[in-house]
Amino acid sequence: MSDNHKPAPMVDEISDFEVLEIAVRELAIEKGLFSADDHRRWTEYVHSVGPLPAGRLVAKAWLDPEFKKLAVTDGVKASLEVGVDWINSPPTKFGTPSDYCNLRVLEDTPRLKHVVVCTLCSCYPRPILGQSPEWYRTPNYRRRLVRWPRQVLSEFGLQLPEDMEIRVADSNQKTRYIVLPVRPAGTEGWSEDQLAEIVTRDCLIGVAVPKPGRKADDKRHVHPAVHPVHHDH
Amino acid sequence: MTTPDDKDHETQARRQALDTAPISLLETIRTQGRVWGDLAAQYGVSNPEPPWKINLDATCDVLGAGSCALPVLERRWEEDELSAELYADVPFPERQLLALAHSMIRRGLVNEDELTRRMAQVDARLKLV
Repeated sequence: MSDNHKPAPMVDEISDFEVLEIAVRELAIEKGLFSADDHRRWTEYVHSVGPLPAGRLVAKAWLDPEFKKLAVTDGVKASLEVGVDWINSPPTKFGTPSDYCNLRVLEDTPRLKHVVVCTLCSCYPRPILGQSPEWYRTPNYRRRLVRWPRQVLSEFGLQLPEDMEIRVADSNQKTRYIVLPVRPAGTEGWSEDQLAEIVTRDCLIGVAVPKPGRKADDKRHVHPAVHPVHHDH
Repeated sequence: MTTPDDKDHETQARRQALDTAPISLLETIRTQGRVWGDLAAQYGVSNPEPPWKINLDATCDVLGAGSCALPVLERRWEEDELSAELYADVPFPERQLLALAHSMIRRGLVNEDELTRRMAQVDARLKLV
């Protein structure tokens, strides 16, 4: 390893809490309460969950006013229609990733924008949105979003009009949030599948808004630099 | 949707079921254990959650499956109650872990002595160079 590539810092200390977690798990396995393989499959499953169900939920809400009503009043019940059971989650059938069963769906309007954070740690609606992105867990995002939401959103490339209200939802141990963005113009007549494709993870957190033709798996076009650097070669 | 009355009844039923008296082993960990926030600050690590959090989540959820040794909602209710009464000064997720161990001991899923012994074994194993 070169001097220029230093390893990331790590905690080089075994805490009583780390030891307690392992001891509890090992005893539960030895007593046959669950198997080591069940445990491993669960953690693998958690890492495989993505934002697709939440995108589907938003697309359904855009197309069906009754479903939208259900989504904003009872997010957990609405989640069932996109295959996410917060209490007995498929595919493993043994529960959600330990998040409390209280999902709130925050509806944006043309004058109101929601954005989600967890100021305390990194609470996130994992059963319906998968694992949180690294930036969501950074102190930078967590501390600054609640104080300067407009500034932080602009850093994500989302410029909001001055007269648009921004509400920051602070997730916690009990309540998780996703954003139901405004359906963009240019999507008239689209199918649920088409709509779901443009509701990306960042739209559901609230740091982006959906746009026709902008999908998570798009080829990422980079605009030419305004002030390009010219090379001689 | 549940009403406030429903919640009151639920809370009452839980309070009767859960013994929230302190457990010696867990009190020692609560008062002497180093929480992730402190360790992360000392070692310059920015991850807000300890690496063992994913294992804790899995343990909580698989306990609610299959044998249903500790149903998910009951565990969560008990965690609420223990968090308010006994582990209020412990940050999350250490508080979640203490509450889980507390619930398991009170329900007889593990006993305090065997957990103490197992912790000593695990500790020795992890510290082997």
